[in-house]
Amino acid sequence: MNKGLAALCERRLLIVTGKGGTGKTTVAAALGLLTAREGIDTVVIELGETAVLPRLLSDDPIALEADGGREPVPLAPHLFTLRIVPEVALIEYLELQLHIRRIVGVVIRNQGFRRLLDAAPGWRALITLGKLWYLQSRMERGRPRWPLLIVDGPSTGHGISFLSVPNVVLETVRLGPLRRHTDRVQVLLKDPARTLVLPVTLAEELPVNETFELCARIRELGMALGPVIANAVEPAPDLPDLEPVLAEIGQLALSSSDSAILDPGLIRKCAENRLRRSSLQHGFLEDLARGCSQDVLQLPYQVQAIEGPGSLAPLAEQLEAALTARATK
Amino acid sequence: MNTTPWLKRRILVTVGTGGVGKTTVSAAMGLEAARRGRRVLVLTIDPARRLADALGIKLDHKPRSIPRKVLSAAGLELRGTLHAMMLDTKQTFDELVERYSTDREALERILANPIYQNLTDALAGSREYSAMEKLHQLHSTGDYDLIVVDTPPSGHALEFLDAPRRLTAFLQSDLLKVLFRPALAMGRTGFRLFRFGSATVLRVVEKITGLGFLTAISDFLLAFESMLDGFTARARETEVLLRDPACGFVLVVGPDPGQARRAEDFWARLQREEIHLLGLVVNRVRTWPVSGPVPELGDARIMGLTERLGKELAKRDPPFDGENAARSLVGMLAQQASLARRDARTCARLEQSLSLTPEAVRRIPLFSEDVHAVEGLQRMASHLFAEEEDA
Repeated sequence: MNKGLAALCERRLLIVTGKGGTGKTTVAAALGLLTAREGIDTVVIELGETAVLPRLLSDDPIALEADGGREPVPLAPHLFTLRIVPEVALIEYLELQLHIRRIVGVVIRNQGFRRLLDAAPGWRALITLGKLWYLQSRMERGRPRWPLLIVDGPSTGHGISFLSVPNVVLETVRLGPLRRHTDRVQVLLKDPARTLVLPVTLAEELPVNETFELCARIRELGMALGPVIANAVEPAPDLPDLEPVLAEIGQLALSSSDSAILDPGLIRKCAENRLRRSSLQHGFLEDLARGCSQDVLQLPYQVQAIEGPGSLAPLAEQLEAALTARATK
Repeated sequence: MNTTPWLKRRILVTVGTGGVGKTTVSAAMGLEAARRGRRVLVLTIDPARRLADALGIKLDHKPRSIPRKVLSAAGLELRGTLHAMMLDTKQTFDELVERYSTDREALERILANPIYQNLTDALAGSREYSAMEKLHQLHSTGDYDLIVVDTPPSGHALEFLDAPRRLTAFLQSDLLKVLFRPALAMGRTGFRLFRFGSATVLRVVEKITGLGFLTAISDFLLAFESMLDGFTARARETEVLLRDPACGFVLVVGPDPGQARRAEDFWARLQREEIHLLGLVVNRVRTWPVSGPVPELGDARIMGLTERLGKELAKRDPPFDGENAARSLVGMLAQQASLARRDARTCARLEQSLSLTPEAVRRIPLFSEDVHAVEGLQRMASHLFAEEEDA
């Protein structure tokens, strides 16, 4: 296994986050493909209102149906997925705390309790983090049952408040099980040997700026950052020395249909656009590397839309290559 | 579909999922309206530093005027004025709390509440609420002919329209009155939460959460309760403003097929909201660099072209690696053609599926220059408003 990937595999919880539209979900899924291929039981976890990951990670129609339960759903060898639904996680938590299902039912159905849930901010984030802690604490035959959790996290703004909820609870609650449990969650989040935050960004202005802010806030929270992933980078075009080639092309005797395409003016415009875009992106990547003081991995722009495991596989390969390059740097 | 030109509105709201370039599109629209003589404010929620730098201003919680010399350096004369500001959620909320809190004690209690301090962002719809609140405030000053609002990116449609409703719904005073009572009156945690339930349930919940948490939540909600009338009235006014014909909505999307699907869904929800939908901006459309139809370059054609070009180039004197040159050049053209065709298909699909006139679907090509310079914004505006008369 390459060292860059191994460094991620040694962790227990990888939280992928970043500005909306940067490709967090596909990056989390691609990473899951890689770690599962290394034989590590990986759960790729999503938190949204509808399940996206099963379709990205599996073609199996049966796997696509399981959603929003308590246990990770197997999709492929060593690869699992789970969509954490706060309401489901809350019932599970109460059952673990109160031991008697009937009492949990009474609490959950209680009007007052339901209204409290409607009004109280932050409990969804807290119970979700609690579920992550619980999953990583499960043991089987003396070993962690879920050695690696990869979370397709909320986007930056929400992600920061998501990760700071334990702080708020610890500030307000002094005693009791909630305090103890939140403490454990906090210890997990702040343990650089177990938890890393992986920001995903684009080689564009706003995503880069937001990444600076994200990195600063994550450090303030006392959490460790992994490499920053710059997604959808247009590779510098591998072009021959243009002018002599274009001069040659201008002199070729080509059929009229060929010469409509192999037109020096067209080729020059096309190439110049590509080169300019690539140098523009390059500038943003330099800003990024300077401004966030983290390693930056680059993933190339995918011409093909990523819609399932077939189209996800190339991205996974490229992610692996980027991790290798980072480790040998 | 309303056909009044976009720039004639009093308010333009750009909506869309994250990462599609809403902020830049908003800036370009504002710039163009100001060029045409209107007093414009662009209200953004993104830390658009490069844009701010390009415009020669500091982007913060106050409207800042774009200096004329920055614009004239780019050859641009504004007949109107252009201001820009960046929304700060927490600050807007602090302002609101200050305005609506009924007494000093309530104000201090909420500002000191740890849940308020840390979770204002997590509060259902608070970012959206404060954006709409700020819009309302600035609109009432009458200082601007046009306010362009760049809304927070939302995965689902209309969080910003729902936000006032959601926020006030959970602050509903009768609900809160049932739930909570001031701590003194109860003598204990201040909870009337389980008045209709059994005391056992409260004991059970307290056993897990400890007393502090429930008290903090109760304080937080109680503090808000005192401001509820102000909040609700304001939310109602904002809703009226957003549905006024002077306020138009523009959906900004990217050209990827996946984005088109989301755009259709988004559009359908917008239509149910009884707001004035002006149209769609498809941003970063890949185009074919010369005029005329985009050629169809299938695999066989690409192979044929590469082979013929490679052979011809290899014949030249002095010889060079014609095969490689041919492969990379034809490959580049083929990729450009396929992306341009794909994006054109997406735009056509959106026009059709949303039953929009071509005029309502405005395409901005993917620029290879920095769009954040004044020239970039101007170019963007020229694509957006090519058809709209400068009157």
